[in-house]
Amino acid sequence: MNNSLSPKAIREIREGTCNPLGAPQVTTDLSENIILTSLDDLHNWARLSSLWPLLYGTACCFIEFAALIGSRFDFDRFGLVPRSSPRQADLLIVAGTVTMKMAPALVRLYEQMPEPKYVIAMGACTITGGMFSSDSTTAVRGVDKLIPVDLYLPGCPPRPEAIFDAVIKLRKKVSNESVLERTKSEQTHRYFTIEHNMNLVFSENNGEYLNKKASNTLDVSRNQEIKEDLEQIDKSILIESEEN
Amino acid sequence: MDKDNKTDKELVDKRGIISKALSDYNIENESLGEDHIGIENISVEPQNLYEAISKLKDLGFNYLQCQGGYDEGPGKSLVSFYHLITVGDVQEIAKIKEVRVKVFLKRDSDLSLPSLYSLFRGSDWQERETYDMFGINFKDHPCPKRLLMPEDWRGWPLRKDYIQPDFYEMQDAY
Repeated sequence: MNNSLSPKAIREIREGTCNPLGAPQVTTDLSENIILTSLDDLHNWARLSSLWPLLYGTACCFIEFAALIGSRFDFDRFGLVPRSSPRQADLLIVAGTVTMKMAPALVRLYEQMPEPKYVIAMGACTITGGMFSSDSTTAVRGVDKLIPVDLYLPGCPPRPEAIFDAVIKLRKKVSNESVLERTKSEQTHRYFTIEHNMNLVFSENNGEYLNKKASNTLDVSRNQEIKEDLEQIDKSILIESEEN
Repeated sequence: MDKDNKTDKELVDKRGIISKALSDYNIENESLGEDHIGIENISVEPQNLYEAISKLKDLGFNYLQCQGGYDEGPGKSLVSFYHLITVGDVQEIAKIKEVRVKVFLKRDSDLSLPSLYSLFRGSDWQERETYDMFGINFKDHPCPKRLLMPEDWRGWPLRKDYIQPDFYEMQDAY
């Protein structure tokens, strides 16, 4: 059925093309008042129209993402409502460089999000490490090593329009899903998909480090000495300035 | 050009004014000459650092503009530097406004320095960063922890002989 035609026009076409007995009343009433769809489509439509992203940003990519919140780009029209709690979010747009120190926090945020959840890796840093991939001591080379990524959004940083493009592509992905097939796309443990030789290493951080105390310092007695010295110098400077 | 302007006495004794002033107060130091914009560089031993800086503060260098570290190279010294400037109307030293004090620490020594937190509060995080990146210990620092790296990180990332561990997360993406 052509959606651009109004119901009235459709009715007229039907009457014009039907036999002299007139348009079939029962089927017309049905098609005008009942929507036939599958539960999957309805469910997907509801979910893709309310992708709530988590407010997550660690670098300049978030500046571009923040532009979407404003009226110029206005991502509310896509049903994106920024959430500050991972419990209420179902989309994680990783905006910005992720360092080794940030990685545990990112994984924790991802794990706190309710299923089904989606991840967009935004920007070069989150895809490969970007300009930090050459010799940084801390930058994680691609967040897909930490969490599963649904969509890679390249750019450094990507324009707000590019983020919309990513969101639209993600909506298409959501619309193709099926509740029955959900188990097939569930998260797998990414660490075992690439062969590597990891040794079990225990942390040397036993808490002692936090209680670190100074040991090799100037004595208090010597401090007094220095203070007296300084006072004397003060006086001599005063005298000099008075003489001048 | 500068050399022509100097007097004979200064040519004989190439030490800067500040270096000499510190020597007058019996603080051992070594002059490193001037850098390209004429700022005097002084080197002191770790045990003399606190005295030297407090004396300089008393002489009018009342602002620690920058504290930092660098590595001279594999096997060479680790250096902690202190850039002091004058802020305010200290008329007595209107001519000299900046000085840089360096402490050279042998790699195999215990790499300990007195913290300047009691003199300049601003040295707090800068010393923590130097500790974090070079492993130089600042005694009497109120919070001698790593600043940037994770607390259980091993190694000192900005040393020239630092070898980056081949963590899975930090291997090149394909």
